[in-house]
Amino acid sequence: MHKTRRFLIGGVIILAALAYLIYGGMREAIVYFVTPSELKGQETTSRDKFLRMGGMVVAGSLQKDLKNLTYRFQITDGAVSVPIYFHGVPPDLFSEGKGAVVEGRIGPDGVFVASTIMAKHAEEYSPPHAGKASPPRSFVPGQEGSRP
Amino acid sequence: MTAVIGHWSIIVAFSLALWGMIAPILGSRDGRPWFFASTRAAILGQFFFVTLASSCLIYALVTTDFSIRYVVFNTTRATPVYYRVTGLWGALEGSLLLWEWLLIIFSGLVAWIYKERHRELMPWVLMILSIVSAFFLVVLAFVSDPFESIFPVPLDGRGLNPLLEDANMISHPPLLYTGFVGLTVPYAFAMAALIKGKLDEGWILTTRRWTITAWFFLTMGNLVGAWWSYHVLGWGGYWAWDPVENAAFMPWLPATAFLHSVQVQERRNMLKVWNLSLIIIAFALTIFGTFLTRSGILSSIHAFSNGPVGTVFLAFLAVVLLGSFGLLAYRADHLKGQPELDSVVSRESAFLLNNVVLVSALFTIFLGTIFPLISEATTGVKVSVGAPYFNSVTVPLFLLLVFLMGVGPMMAWRKASWDNLRRNFLWPAAAALLFGLILFIGWVRDFFPLLGFTLSVFVVATILFDTALAMRARRRIAGEGVLGALLTLARRNQRRYGGLIVHLGIVLITLGIAGSMSYSVERQATLSVGESLAVGRYRIQFEGLRGAQQPTHYRVEGVFRISSNGNESGTFSPALKFFPNQEAPVGRAVFRSTFTEDIYLILSGFSEVGQNRATLKVLIRPLLVWIWLGGVIIALGTIVAVWPVRRRVSAQES
Repeated sequence: MHKTRRFLIGGVIILAALAYLIYGGMREAIVYFVTPSELKGQETTSRDKFLRMGGMVVAGSLQKDLKNLTYRFQITDGAVSVPIYFHGVPPDLFSEGKGAVVEGRIGPDGVFVASTIMAKHAEEYSPPHAGKASPPRSFVPGQEGSRP
Repeated sequence: MTAVIGHWSIIVAFSLALWGMIAPILGSRDGRPWFFASTRAAILGQFFFVTLASSCLIYALVTTDFSIRYVVFNTTRATPVYYRVTGLWGALEGSLLLWEWLLIIFSGLVAWIYKERHRELMPWVLMILSIVSAFFLVVLAFVSDPFESIFPVPLDGRGLNPLLEDANMISHPPLLYTGFVGLTVPYAFAMAALIKGKLDEGWILTTRRWTITAWFFLTMGNLVGAWWSYHVLGWGGYWAWDPVENAAFMPWLPATAFLHSVQVQERRNMLKVWNLSLIIIAFALTIFGTFLTRSGILSSIHAFSNGPVGTVFLAFLAVVLLGSFGLLAYRADHLKGQPELDSVVSRESAFLLNNVVLVSALFTIFLGTIFPLISEATTGVKVSVGAPYFNSVTVPLFLLLVFLMGVGPMMAWRKASWDNLRRNFLWPAAAALLFGLILFIGWVRDFFPLLGFTLSVFVVATILFDTALAMRARRRIAGEGVLGALLTLARRNQRRYGGLIVHLGIVLITLGIAGSMSYSVERQATLSVGESLAVGRYRIQFEGLRGAQQPTHYRVEGVFRISSNGNESGTFSPALKFFPNQEAPVGRAVFRSTFTEDIYLILSGFSEVGQNRATLKVLIRPLLVWIWLGGVIIALGTIVAVWPVRRRVSAQES
């Protein structure tokens, strides 16, 4: 009996440690999916959450500073648009008028500070274009008409 | 024509698999040995027809037979021949066929090798293998047919995803699939033993070698996948805790646990139910992994497509779990009467703890992977679980494992005496603590990396110390030299020394992960020609852009000259590749590895119009190369462990 009890205590300790690890890890790393409309009015309660939000990059809203790699733009779901601030290099497919997904936190000023931007792939492959592709003259993510 | 032969080969193989399922049952009713013999024939027949089907698909891919839908979506006329062959596992249908092919190769090997041995079990082993094979064949024949035709026949194919056009992609999926499939063999033996109620140790010894082989392929498959991610995906990382990476990694955990706990069963006749459960879980996880990848229920960069395949796999998974654990419960009375642990300080309990940690890691990773599903189903809240969860949960568990790697193999069975502990651990522990102290004073102030480095030194020290003691003993007994003593030891106790070498490999991987996770430096900048960027001890100067037309794409390179501490160390040219049928370019990062750190350059964008600028991302990742070197050491250790050596005496194993 003595041995069984010792194993039981050991088991409980291990389970408790595991539960603590899982709880702590989850609290840090859960990302909540929201839409711009859902975020509206919830800015203060959402401040301590890590968010993922998808929508369209509003045409004409993109202001970028290529030297310092900062990007400001708005994302909309058609009804509500949310201002986004991003520092870094956005993905290749990111541009105005296209779908994008941002991850980050909402700041006290209501600006969504994104730590990552993911572009939405329309489809993995598009049918081959006729003829050869002309060599690209420039490629800057987030710039319309930068592609061949 | 090729498509017809391929499709009908699958149908014929499926009928043979059905016969393989029924024959042992008829045989056991009827008592005629003919039925049992026909099970073996059914497996060998499946081997022939599945090989024929696979050859048909490879032939169609190589000859670009665009009447087959699969070929259209995975090759073009411009694709080089070897990438046409690897198109076999470029998409869902082909990779299922590859899986089935590997499965039936393994099954054929089992049927071939054990013609005379395990007479009682073999029909049932082959029956289980036939059931698994029948499942894959039914999927290939009716759910996702690789030989589906397309009309009108297009002039050219759409081509393989360009990310897959890489030499590592040739080896990564087959390695992983071989690992997955390899786990089917111990599962089949375990089920056969349960069916026959023959739970003695004979089959466990047999499965151990198969499990080591499967484990080896799983390990290599995961490492090559990590290497591919680092080498090709161009984000500077090697592991993202993507659901599909998790799916490939999860079976590794119970397989590793089994390789340790089966030694306890061999030695002490304990943990029978536990070991059977581990085998069942490991096999079920390979099916679960495919379900996760193919159902598209979790978004992932690896996911191929949606479709009914996911549901079919889920149904099969349910059958496997219910059937296996049902059988286990049914035979519960055969599994009773096991000895208990004698002492908490013993090798058994170290192995038991190792198992608890591995299963805990499995549980946490599993929970994190499926948590989005649970959350959406129960509360309707859509969430995802990020990499920080997996890191913060698994790092302490894996460090505990590293500690156990140092302790377990050196402890005595049953009850470790105080003398045993002092003799084996005093000096290694002292050395590790001293090393940790020096690190702490010198550079490393963060808890987990410091612990990781210290424990790594501890493990290496215990292994070296133990081997040195054994070598000294050999020298005294047989008067052998250093090398001779080492060879004798390894030959006499292959599994032990093979295992210790594998542990050394794991330690190197730990070092690589600890260094590259904790001390990475990342910098981004947009540079004009002639400008430079300082990162750590490196100075990176932008020299200009270069463009060139390649056979399949247009390539733009940024040329950067690197100097470290003022010494010239060459030019790096990270590139962006523009494929005509891809919306976005594919990046090609460039990196250089040294034993102390990697420098990794990514070209993120460029503008030529008027200004000639490039946007660059630089990563410095310390010790990363040790992850790959650790993989090489693991391969070496596995070879030592399973190398067939004829033994005169049945050597003692530990």
